Amino acid sequence: MKIVIAGGNSEAEFIIKMFSGKDDELIVINPSKEMAETILKRCQVKVYVGSPWRKFALEESNAYDADAFISLCPSDTDNYASCLLAKKCFNAKKCVCLVNNPKNVDIYKKLGIDSVISSSYLLGQSVKSESSVENIMKTLSLENDKIVMIEALILSRYKIANKTLKEVGFPSFASICCIYRTPEVIIPKGDTVIKPKDKLLIVCAPNDQKKVMAFLKGENNDQ
Amino acid sequence: MRNKNIIIGCGRLGASIANYEASLGGDVIVIDSNGESFDRLDELFSGYTIVADATDVDELEEVGIANAKQVVITTGDDNVNLFLAHLCAKVYEVPYIYVRFDDPDKGLLIQGMNIKAIYPFQLSKDRFNLLRMGVDK
Repeated sequence: MKIVIAGGNSEAEFIIKMFSGKDDELIVINPSKEMAETILKRCQVKVYVGSPWRKFALEESNAYDADAFISLCPSDTDNYASCLLAKKCFNAKKCVCLVNNPKNVDIYKKLGIDSVISSSYLLGQSVKSESSVENIMKTLSLENDKIVMIEALILSRYKIANKTLKEVGFPSFASICCIYRTPEVIIPKGDTVIKPKDKLLIVCAPNDQKKVMAFLKGENNDQ
Repeated sequence: MRNKNIIIGCGRLGASIANYEASLGGDVIVIDSNGESFDRLDELFSGYTIVADATDVDELEEVGIANAKQVVITTGDDNVNLFLAHLCAKVYEVPYIYVRFDDPDKGLLIQGMNIKAIYPFQLSKDRFNLLRMGVDK
């Protein structure tokens, strides 16, 4: 993968460290000379000093055909202009744009940026999803709310506890991707037993979320 | 009804356009994030002045961007100008959009859109060429 990381301070450093040492080709651009030197010292990567929203900066740093273009400048509009330039003139496949103002998330997406990230927006979303359900169930929305991922802690009073997946008859509209049973991760098969204290990671459509949760939480009436 | 004439950025260019447009009559609204910028307007300026951050969409809506017939964008930041021009064209579908860019390469990003750009760099260069050829005195 070819990844361009434009601007940013500690965020840039974090992401560079995440990708460096792998097979990915990293191109780092930073408008500040001081920051460029810091990144060079701490991450041992070449940093091109320039403004990522200027055409010649992207030309000289050879930022063509990036698989991902990540813009992390402090100003929302700088990130907007950089991402759009990368997309329209440098054939970037996917742009990620950091913003401070959460209101910009929807607007920038509407104006053609693939992915817009705001820490306060994400915080709000996660507060919303965590508070909407009991704390044993956590949800995460993916792909613009088309997929929901549910993390569910299994309690011993649930009907599905201590049964194999085959016996449980899990609904067809949802799928268990994995079971987290400290310290191991189990990829479930028909004969896998669901045990109390297991954490189940389940994928489903948002419309089925409530049905899935109701199924999980069904209690054992026999006892 | 689309009848508003909004000028974003009250620098030298923005202020002189605002003065001119107001002298022609009609609703002129000038926005700037710094209230002191309005000192550049004529004493007899008959339009409205509003202190607002134009990159904040809620503030733009309050000013009435959805009812704008014409928007002139002349803030000192090319990237802000680019964003505002795209916003006016794609979201609010303003019929007449004029924008100033210091960087001529910004033109690549408004191609095919209903946006007219002014490049001071290009104008100065053209003027220089004319002067050197002695066409104009």
